[in-house]
Amino acid sequence: MTASLRLRDVSVEFPIYSGGSRSLRKLLLNSTTQGNLARDASDRITVLALSGVTLDIKHGDRLAIIGANGAGKSTLLKVLAGIYAPTGGRMYASGRVSALLTASVGLSPDATGRENIIIRGMYMDVHPRDMRAHVDEIAEFTELGSFIDMPVRTYSAGMMVRLCFAVATSLRPEILLMDEWLAAGDAAFLNKARQRMEDFLSGTSVLVLASHSLSLVKEWCNRAILLDHGRVAAIGSVDDVAAAYESGRT
Amino acid sequence: MVSVAISEVEHDSAAGWPTPPSRGALAWRDIADGFGKSWMWVALALQDTKVRYRGSVLGPFWLTLSTLVMVVAIGVIYGRLFHVDIATYLPYLSLGLIVWQTFSSIITEGCETFLREQSVIQQVPIPFSIHAYRNVCRNFIVLAHNLVIVPIGLVLFGIPIDWRVLEIIPGFLLLAINGFWISILLGLISARFRDVPPIVASFLQILFFMSPIFWPVEMLGDWQAIATLNPLSAAIDVVRAPLLGAATAENSWIVLMIMTVLGCSVTFAVFARFRARIAYWI
Repeated sequence: MTASLRLRDVSVEFPIYSGGSRSLRKLLLNSTTQGNLARDASDRITVLALSGVTLDIKHGDRLAIIGANGAGKSTLLKVLAGIYAPTGGRMYASGRVSALLTASVGLSPDATGRENIIIRGMYMDVHPRDMRAHVDEIAEFTELGSFIDMPVRTYSAGMMVRLCFAVATSLRPEILLMDEWLAAGDAAFLNKARQRMEDFLSGTSVLVLASHSLSLVKEWCNRAILLDHGRVAAIGSVDDVAAAYESGRT
Repeated sequence: MVSVAISEVEHDSAAGWPTPPSRGALAWRDIADGFGKSWMWVALALQDTKVRYRGSVLGPFWLTLSTLVMVVAIGVIYGRLFHVDIATYLPYLSLGLIVWQTFSSIITEGCETFLREQSVIQQVPIPFSIHAYRNVCRNFIVLAHNLVIVPIGLVLFGIPIDWRVLEIIPGFLLLAINGFWISILLGLISARFRDVPPIVASFLQILFFMSPIFWPVEMLGDWQAIATLNPLSAAIDVVRAPLLGAATAENSWIVLMIMTVLGCSVTFAVFARFRARIAYWI
């Protein structure tokens, strides 16, 4: 089966828990008392992060998600990754998905770089036995030197990015979802990363990239969608959508 | 404003798509898939243990040592208070404490099942049950380290061992199953209600004193029913009695079974209903 992701009228609503709504004690009090206490427990506000998103992503697509901060780019990626189940609408996914959402999170701070490579591999469904074959290659790419045997807690942000990037690109998922966090690496690494990314992309069937950088998008993608306040504002070729984004901004 | 399409999909409906599986089916698949990935949670639990005791000379045996110290300290004083023979009291106390420690740390850490793995849950869609299996497995690794003092104690105090010892196998199995549903249920509730972990912690303290861990059940006299109906004392009994060469209390297995069935059913219903919300809550 070829890789594909299909969304129909997908919406995602986030509950924002504040004050008493995080407290079981207050909820219980709320059910037995009325009046002022009752207001406390129900101050639940929801935020509509995505609304009515309909989208088909097929084999060969290099889709860019563009939009301002808070437009729902990351949320859409998380829906595509299967992390957030849509609160409305339907999604259908086939193919092995790998998501590079945030760089540093997900690392176990007290484990060494080498151990984290194995752990990350496991989260991507790769048995430690198979992952060991990649460890040296990954360690070499990161240029971390002897830091690879130090706890990750001692790493700088840039070092963590290198490690995560190297691990994620050492495997070949059919569908790769990427949030723009590569920028945290230094310039020299960015060039190296670009090279590796290109090799990597030739092996994947679908790429979805959320980004602010139109130049990066134009270089890597062949389709784009523009999100605005959780809605699809435009979809089509990268140039058209980029133009719509630019005109909307000015 | 440049005019561009906002949808390229021709047939806007999801008609003709396969019917999505029910919540129950998804929850069951999560639990089964998670169990199937035992290589993952065993390796993660081992890694947890390794990291936790990194840099200490004794490693996880620190816990064994601290259990030993606690047993001797409590044993000598309470043995005197209760006027019981040290040779029977110490083994009784240590086995009770070992099971209690496993149980209570599964519960305490069970509150953190999903909260602790927040960054993983927000990044990769692996079955949620994996985090619960990992919690149980990690605590059983600690239990295994604590159990090394048992054979020493058995020999030291000359406790006869017979075929009844095998009863601890189903005992530990039930302990694991109960640990699993507790990890899921408490993990879910704590992800939604952040005041649950401290509430659970204070209940645990009460439970410790109410369970026959450091006091012998017989001392309750006519009130022994209070202890035998307590699921925790049943859990302790099915491990402790066989190792002490005694028969388990007649209620213990029944109480434990009821707790297992009841706990699993309630947890499954809650898990099926709220599984998809976990990523939103944490």
